[in-house]
Amino acid sequence: MMALPFVIFAAATGCALAGRRGLALGAWGIGLALTLFLFRHHATDALPLAF
Amino acid sequence: MTRSLSVVLNACGLLALTAVLAVAFGYQFALGELPCPLCLLQRAAFAAAGVGLALNVCLGPRPSHYAMTILSAVAGAGVAARQVLLHITPGSGSYGSPFLGIHFYSWALMLFVAIVVGSAAMLLADRQFAAEGPGTPAAPALGKGAVALFLFLVAANGISTFAECGGGMCPDNPTEYQLLSR
Repeated sequence: MMALPFVIFAAATGCALAGRRGLALGAWGIGLALTLFLFRHHATDALPLAF
Repeated sequence: MTRSLSVVLNACGLLALTAVLAVAFGYQFALGELPCPLCLLQRAAFAAAGVGLALNVCLGPRPSHYAMTILSAVAGAGVAARQVLLHITPGSGSYGSPFLGIHFYSWALMLFVAIVVGSAAMLLADRQFAAEGPGTPAAPALGKGAVALFLFLVAANGISTFAECGGGMCPDNPTEYQLLSR
């Protein structure tokens, strides 16, 4: 699961190389959304801060 | 700024991102330090930022490509800022070895801010978006080489992450490559 964003961004870069702009944009959007979802999953502990 | 110069600068930016991924990769293998989940997500955000630059190099600069890079860098800065805040109080420790005296997540936060500032500065140059005459190559050989190198590093990170975490989520403090220990 954690490897998936890299696979998607590599595919997006490959699409850019191949001149497929729409596919690259779509893959990038999916990859970024997945990255943020994984961040939400891992950002569970409270920060040790007091103001 | 001409379109050609913009493409060259984007290729240089892409090479810089490739260098960032390569240094992190080098530390992972040279020192045997496995990246934590937040470290991996910061690497992924660098990869995401590079997609916008790769599009600028391959298909010519567009404001939307810079927007992709900026949005990716903002996401990466959020992840890096959280990790900095996890370790900012005295006694909260740190993760991994420092590079030039600063930990990777602090470097990442500074670099993501630099990417946002650099992309915004590039957006100031309107002439790069004007179409040049026919026959002007969008990506010189240097540019395509930079994109190919970046693609290789991102794919290599995907393979190493799969070896470290398998098909699921990574543990918070990884100690071994899950796929290799079975």
